[in-house]
Amino acid sequence: MSQRNRELIPSFSRPASRVMIRKVARYEEDLFALIYESLREFQLPVKDKTVLLKPNLVGLDPQGVMNTHPAVIAATRESFLKLGAARVLIGDGPAMDRDTQAILESVRLKEFTGKLGKDFCDLNIDDVERVQLETRATRLKELFLPKTVLGVDFLVSMPKLKTHHWAGVTLSLKNMFGVVPGSCYGWPKNVLHWAGIDRSILDICAAARPDFAIVDGILGMEGNGPIQGTQKAAGVLLLGNDPVAVDATACRVMGLLPERVEYLSRAGTMLGHVEASKIQQLGEGIDIVKTQFAVLPEFGRLVA
Amino acid sequence: MPSVAISVLKMQNPLDSALTASELCGKTLRSECLSLLRELQNADGGWPFHAGEQSRVEPTCWALRALFASEPHADDRVFRKAAGFLQTSQLADGSWPATSQMITGSWVTSLACSVLSRDALSAANVKAGLKWICEDFPRDSSPLRRFVQSLRPKSDTVSQNDSYRGWGWTPRTASWVEPTAFALMALQEAEPQQLPKNAAERRNLAVSLLYDRMCPGGGWNCGNPRVYGVDGDALVLATCWALFALRDAPEKPGRTLSLAWLQKEFSNIESAGSLAVARMTLENYGIEPPTANRILQDWTAETFSELGTHVLAWACMALDPARRWPVISNFSTKNREGAA
Repeated sequence: MSQRNRELIPSFSRPASRVMIRKVARYEEDLFALIYESLREFQLPVKDKTVLLKPNLVGLDPQGVMNTHPAVIAATRESFLKLGAARVLIGDGPAMDRDTQAILESVRLKEFTGKLGKDFCDLNIDDVERVQLETRATRLKELFLPKTVLGVDFLVSMPKLKTHHWAGVTLSLKNMFGVVPGSCYGWPKNVLHWAGIDRSILDICAAARPDFAIVDGILGMEGNGPIQGTQKAAGVLLLGNDPVAVDATACRVMGLLPERVEYLSRAGTMLGHVEASKIQQLGEGIDIVKTQFAVLPEFGRLVA
Repeated sequence: MPSVAISVLKMQNPLDSALTASELCGKTLRSECLSLLRELQNADGGWPFHAGEQSRVEPTCWALRALFASEPHADDRVFRKAAGFLQTSQLADGSWPATSQMITGSWVTSLACSVLSRDALSAANVKAGLKWICEDFPRDSSPLRRFVQSLRPKSDTVSQNDSYRGWGWTPRTASWVEPTAFALMALQEAEPQQLPKNAAERRNLAVSLLYDRMCPGGGWNCGNPRVYGVDGDALVLATCWALFALRDAPEKPGRTLSLAWLQKEFSNIESAGSLAVARMTLENYGIEPPTANRILQDWTAETFSELGTHVLAWACMALDPARRWPVISNFSTKNREGAA
């Protein structure tokens, strides 16, 4: 178990969070330079530490529509190594297909990162450890979570900017569904759906506590996400030291109201900041990069 | 895999002279996989997903399948130790948990029942497991829930017949394709006297569910053939397990369509696990696997193992020409690459 602080601090007594927005038109740009410079601004405590990047690898995606782009993952990995991290792992537990290798091959991750070997962790089949759920947002009293997730010093959630047909949006908090191991809960992790997706997100995030978030919004997805939606060019990367604040900012970039996303609104009371006044905005202004994302009719209330 | 091919050719046994270089490669690879699989067994008799980790029911079942796919096991020390691990892992209600710290059973109960079904010393364990399987009804298709659903306005969110019932990954959730397929296989492999009274009814409902959840173009994914009016894409592994489970079911056009989908998809498979299981599936139906972008000899035993013990075990089985599970139906073996 790492020494990461998993204490729940009420949002009113938390310091302001910092979120940076960077404009990036294409994946072919120098993402390493951009991400490295951005991360340096945050002065993250990663020297000699083990970092785990948790991208969103949701399915077979040769067109690069639904998963976090491998160029963003590779550039982030290089950046953390340059910042002094002893080891930077990449790990995910895809939810719908247990063939993680097929997904990795379809996104050509190895072409961007080089051979990863044991630096890639299939979280679906990692050794697990029982975690008592103190938040009790769901009726689940405990979850079995991968030892790799619980043991690293610094956990980075790296979602793609997408709408979601059940949760409204899927960003760095919803992305943490992927740390729940399929070998224990199945493909999909259906027990979480029965416990309530919004509530499960809170329990999982409170237990696993991502330290940082980087959202790939260069090409996002709107409508019937997270798999069957429509590609949407948003041209942004968002980075921040509070995943709740990053998600709230991402919603604003998508033209959606974060306070109306159920799980995000609740996360704003115990895991981070949703209120714009509590978020120090760095880089581009929201209005400069704002791009209206279409949502399913059920989520019309989210549109600002 | 040039290095293996060269070393194999150097060591060629005269008895193997009738085999092609590719077949020899497959034979050597299988032998390496089996050796590695034996090395991975933990002291408690079980197998982990990766070397040095805790024993789990799922990799233990796949390892046993692979090690004893074509050999008798009853008195084998490795088998007995593994069976001992499975017996002690079983919960009081007859189910098996996904990991030893869990106190509720899961889909791996079907795997354990299947792999122990021919072991006389595990008969009581299998009977209890099958009873649990047949008493485990998914919550989404309960009569009360279906009644409540019928009162709601029709939507195009999903299109499925909720009167069919299969099995979930975990109890009291919903039916999904893969756990339904594994449960069906466990019921098929059991001795008739071990089956609970409602086994036939559960099988019929589950077979209907599998056909109902098939993707429009053939094949299966986890169980969402259509969501919000959009057709779902089939996946290789889910399709293979469903086809195994439907092997002895009444023939329907859906099965033929799904086999055609798998045949077409086979050549594009890029992962070791899917390639191994797809190959076994086609061979099980008497279909010669078409030429593919990748062959199992592109990987080594170690790289299979990095992907997980289950992948290592699937590769062993796929490379075993004498396997009894899943059996190989008759077809021309003239061009079968990798068979020893």
